[in-house]
Amino acid sequence: MSTPFEPRIVVLCCNWCTYAGADLAGTSRMKYAPNVRLVRVMCSGRVDPSFVLRAFQDGADGVLVAGCHPGDCHYINGNLKAMRRFPALEKMVAQFGIEPQRLRLEWISAAEGDVFVRVVNEMTAQVRALGALDWRRRAAVGPLPEHAG
Amino acid sequence: MEPRIGVFVCHCGTNIAGVVDVNRVVEAAAAWPDVVFSTEYKFMCSDPGQHLLNDAIIRHKLTRVVVAACSPRMHEPTFRKACAMAGLNPYLFEMANIREHCSWVHEDKLAATLKAIDIVRAAVAKARLLEPLQARMVPVTPKVLVVGGGVAGIQAALDIANAGTKVIMVERSQSIGGHMAQLDKTFPTLDCSACILTPKMVQVAQHPNIELMTYSDVENVDGYVGNFTVKIRQRARYVDESTCTSCGVCLEKCPKKVPSEFDEGMATRKAIYRSFPQAVPGRPVIDKESCTYFKNGKCKICEIFCEPKAIRWDDQDRVVEEKVGAIIVATGMGLIDPHGLGQWGYGRFPNVLTGLEFERLNNATGPTGGRITCKDGSEPKSVAILHCVGSRDRNHKEYCSRVCCMYSLKFAHLIKEKTHATVYNFYIDMRCFGKGYEEFYNRLLHEGVKFIRGKAAYVTDQAYGDEETGKLVVSAESTTLGQVLRVPVDMVILASAVAPQNDAEAVARLFGMGRSPDGFFMEKHPKLEPFATATDGVYLAGSCQSPKDIPDTVAHGAAAASTALSMISRGMVEVEAATAEVLKDFCSGCKVCQDVCPYSAISFHDDTHLAEVNASVCKGCGTCVATCPSSAITGHHFNDLQVLAQIDAAFAWE
Amino acid sequence: MSHFATPMMEVPEMIAEVGGKTLDLCYQCGTCSGTCPWNLVRDFRVRDIITRAQLGLEGYEGEDLWMCATCNACVDRCPQGVEIVDLVRTIRMLIAETGAAPKTLRAVLGSVQSNGNPWSGEPSARMAWAGADPVPAFDGTPEYAYFTCCTQAYDPRNAKVIRAAAKVMDAGCVSYGFVGGGEWCCGDAVRKTGAQSSFQRLADHNINLMNGLGVKKMLVPSPHCLNTFRKEYPELGGKWEVTHLVELLRDLVRSGRLAMKTAVPVKAIYHDPCYLGRNNDIYDAPRDVLRGVPGLQLIEFARTRDEAVCCGGGGGRLWMETPVNERFAVLKLKEAVAKGADTVVTACPYCISMFEDAKTALGLDQMQIADVVEIVAQAL
Ligand SMILES: Cc1cc2nc3c(=O)[nH]c(=O)nc-3n(C[C@H](O)[C@H](O)[C@H](O)COP(=O)(O)OP(=O)(O)OC[C@H]3O[C@@H](n4cnc5c(N)ncnc54)[C@H](O)[C@@H]3O)c2cc1C
Ligand code: SF4
Ligand code: SF4
Ligand code: FES
Repeated sequence: MSTPFEPRIVVLCCNWCTYAGADLAGTSRMKYAPNVRLVRVMCSGRVDPSFVLRAFQDGADGVLVAGCHPGDCHYINGNLKAMRRFPALEKMVAQFGIEPQRLRLEWISAAEGDVFVRVVNEMTAQVRALGALDWRRRAAVGPLPEHAG
Repeated sequence: MEPRIGVFVCHCGTNIAGVVDVNRVVEAAAAWPDVVFSTEYKFMCSDPGQHLLNDAIIRHKLTRVVVAACSPRMHEPTFRKACAMAGLNPYLFEMANIREHCSWVHEDKLAATLKAIDIVRAAVAKARLLEPLQARMVPVTPKVLVVGGGVAGIQAALDIANAGTKVIMVERSQSIGGHMAQLDKTFPTLDCSACILTPKMVQVAQHPNIELMTYSDVENVDGYVGNFTVKIRQRARYVDESTCTSCGVCLEKCPKKVPSEFDEGMATRKAIYRSFPQAVPGRPVIDKESCTYFKNGKCKICEIFCEPKAIRWDDQDRVVEEKVGAIIVATGMGLIDPHGLGQWGYGRFPNVLTGLEFERLNNATGPTGGRITCKDGSEPKSVAILHCVGSRDRNHKEYCSRVCCMYSLKFAHLIKEKTHATVYNFYIDMRCFGKGYEEFYNRLLHEGVKFIRGKAAYVTDQAYGDEETGKLVVSAESTTLGQVLRVPVDMVILASAVAPQNDAEAVARLFGMGRSPDGFFMEKHPKLEPFATATDGVYLAGSCQSPKDIPDTVAHGAAAASTALSMISRGMVEVEAATAEVLKDFCSGCKVCQDVCPYSAISFHDDTHLAEVNASVCKGCGTCVATCPSSAITGHHFNDLQVLAQIDAAFAWE
Repeated sequence: MSHFATPMMEVPEMIAEVGGKTLDLCYQCGTCSGTCPWNLVRDFRVRDIITRAQLGLEGYEGEDLWMCATCNACVDRCPQGVEIVDLVRTIRMLIAETGAAPKTLRAVLGSVQSNGNPWSGEPSARMAWAGADPVPAFDGTPEYAYFTCCTQAYDPRNAKVIRAAAKVMDAGCVSYGFVGGGEWCCGDAVRKTGAQSSFQRLADHNINLMNGLGVKKMLVPSPHCLNTFRKEYPELGGKWEVTHLVELLRDLVRSGRLAMKTAVPVKAIYHDPCYLGRNNDIYDAPRDVLRGVPGLQLIEFARTRDEAVCCGGGGGRLWMETPVNERFAVLKLKEAVAKGADTVVTACPYCISMFEDAKTALGLDQMQIADVVEIVAQAL
């Protein structure tokens, strides 16, 4: 590859806190690494482990799951469900040989545009240091599913 | 039938187009499968922009629409409506956020353009799989809950009640009135606070459409816009509502004195008390914590003297449940704890006061009957008023408290009026932005008040000369002169910062609101919807949203009332169509979904051994969808296929 | 110079470049000047330096620049989070590069360069204070490595403090050894005068020395050493657990390992060293120790703890001349006398020096100046 490695990070985030926090980073004109793509679900509790695996399978170098702080979930406690599910997911990802720094769970509130920026920049730097994941090749997990575009 | 997708890329003036190459996005979109139309426009949300959308839907027979513009949290409703106008089911619309998440946060134009293309591609991928949903309409309960009886809550409650809608007002303390009731005169017109507030308080109490519950707290909130169920705890008052005549004899006879909250601890009240003489309601309550009878089982003096026999020792807390359509949160502001402001001497020197303490000192109903005196009873010969104490200060509160400059001027005037004291104002900037405010500042200059442009660094009683002996000395640089001054005075008033209420976090949680970085409740939009919150049907009034003076508070309260009223008078509200649904063929009957649903919206049919989602209770969080081990629950509008398609299209992977 | 001034934006840019990032945050409230102790004795407005530096106006680099004692009082209070002391240091650094540092300072820095200490002391004489008595040397085995402050090693008055410290540590069965002759100045004041490369050289030397000796825990008698070792050395490779002597004393007294049985019947007033208090939040440890001394009555200055007025010795001021009537220590000593104190207790070699000088200047022969550890030694 001639171009330097640019990490590709999928962010699975809830509508109410983290998505809004990212909006706030925007309205405040903060700047961050252009390496993330947000996929919005209503609540972090909606994040199915298969979403995370699919992102890695597609070619993501990192996945960030983010929602409201504990106690602040718009749906009372969906984020606690996400939190409880997470260790199992981490273990699974580790079994696949994916470095732990590539998967991260964060609580980012609607007021924390700065935190969103920090987390994105941090994670981009960490994943950049790890290099490309290229999990499909590493694990030979089959062809890329059909997608748009 | 293959979907026919239309993509509309907005310039948002230069907000997007200044960074993202909009035409390149349009071209990229045109090449994707199923995209039959793609275009750009300067302002998609404008009238012509919506027309363009409307025409294109009809002309190109579009069955899916993607608008790439700002955040869906901003304009999704706008474009959904525009789609509906053109006869397209609004749930067949998807928004791509290329402003907040792209053009505003990146400087590299190429990287931003490529990212914008990715974002639009993901939206198109999801749009392709969208399904039409039917929004359901439910009737609204025509009643509004107002929480907090300060001037904001009072204004909102009266406006709503006068329009013929029922109001329940819940106030935590014994009386309504809030901070305004503690004030003597109000800037800039110097009208007497009680004179303008008390009539409004009485109106609240007497209004046929207002049910007033003081000494009460909201304990629980359930439901959704138009249909909330709230639990209110009315604390035991030990004084019977219907029998008590508010004669006040008990207040005189009760032997137990405790510091008065209303007088900022500068005077005492009794264990049976009303907050202040003009309190509404006028009937007192017994403060169980301080009452001698509750402590040692002896006393009951109030009962002996109460002629109408209104004392009820066996009174209990009551919890009532009410249904309301809207909630207005008007819980007001607190003040920063002055004990953390050590360098200015609070708590160490008795003649260092906070602003509110001075309000009480100066008030005819206050501890000195309105005489401005030092703790030893003498009249101060000089007073220093220190602006920005704890405000505009990263060690404390970063924001400007917005009322201190003006009340400091007011204090200076009142001190001049009542004493012969020299008054110094130590300020960084004079912020006199309201109607008549600058004029008031000018008036003070005419009155001979001294202004020193420099923040007071510290207050000490350590004298370095005869003129300082026995005085409080304020050290500050006059930054205009370039000289450090030591100013000996008899009294120091701290214009200490306004702060969010101590329990703001719990209250925010209770009503499903957010808080901004300053700790105050977060509005839905800082300019266009400063009185709404992220939760539909929950509105904000007054200084709980940010520090405000009375004119702004009243305007905000009225705005919250009109917004709540306009929702109530529609009679019906649309409820979430994007709910979860159990696919019967796949349900294994494990009941895991029941455990995880935060709203108990899932019932289990023992006969068929199947779970079922009650759509009117479900809020669409999707937790059950992600949890179901049999993948038997689908979350409409965010179903697995849709989200996975979006992930697959998040980057141009190869 | 004509009667008007023209901003020169190269100046703030230069300052920002070498680390003075907070310069532009100042909104001219004057809290710093109003807080600064200098104004108790003479006119000195640190805000002036900042405003001038913000605009690149002449005057920021004048003589006043060398006044700041780096006591941190202003930094603690600045509502805008301006790192005032660090800005002063940065500007000094820029000015020092042009060779414009005051003469006395240049002599001191010369000694630092040739002797590794600011006192023109022979490196070989660093352990001379011990005389003929054998003292434990740090060879890697003791728990603590005691780092002698230069001022203790070469100033006869302060040398007494080390002997008291040794006595107390022995009584408390502390496992310690002196790093000894090889050590160089910690470099705190050197750094604050803007001599960055000299500081770097000192730090590199000490880090090599101590890492070579296998130091894990360091015991320091000077709050300046404490501050530098805790805050500046780690990123240069010196990562040790650093304890100030008073913290250790407090622990010894608390745990009962040190019994103070002899009455020390003095009326003591405690002076908070800026680098112990404001810079490292150690306010209670010395007071707790003093309160445990039988017969000792502890009183306070009017402005104490985080509000304490500096002794005037930090940031290189120790090496510069200050007229007697402009010395903070003189002012404080007068207050101590007025309050009826017969002993000023502190916990910093610089403070000891400044107060001893003030005592001589005022001719207060009866006044005792003491380090906390000296009081403890008397109480054993
Ligand atoms: C020293 C001082 C002087 C001032 N002088 C002036 C002036 O001269 N002119 C001017 O225009 N403005 C002045 N102000 C500002 C003025 O006080 C405010 O604008 C006004 O009080 C804001 O009203 P509010 O209803 O928003 O809040 P508040 O007055 O704080 O009222 C809030 C009410 O809600 C109740 N409450 C709180 N939490 C709960 C809960 N969880 N459940 C139920 N009830 C709750 C409280 O008990 C209170 O009654 C001054 C402010 C200060 C501090
Ligand atoms: S205290 Fe801070 S903001 Fe105020 S003048 Fe000094 S440096 Fe500037
Ligand atoms: S650090 Fe101390 S001496 Fe230096 S300017 Fe600030 S207050 Fe003055
Ligand atoms: S809504 Fe944000 S985590 Fe549940």
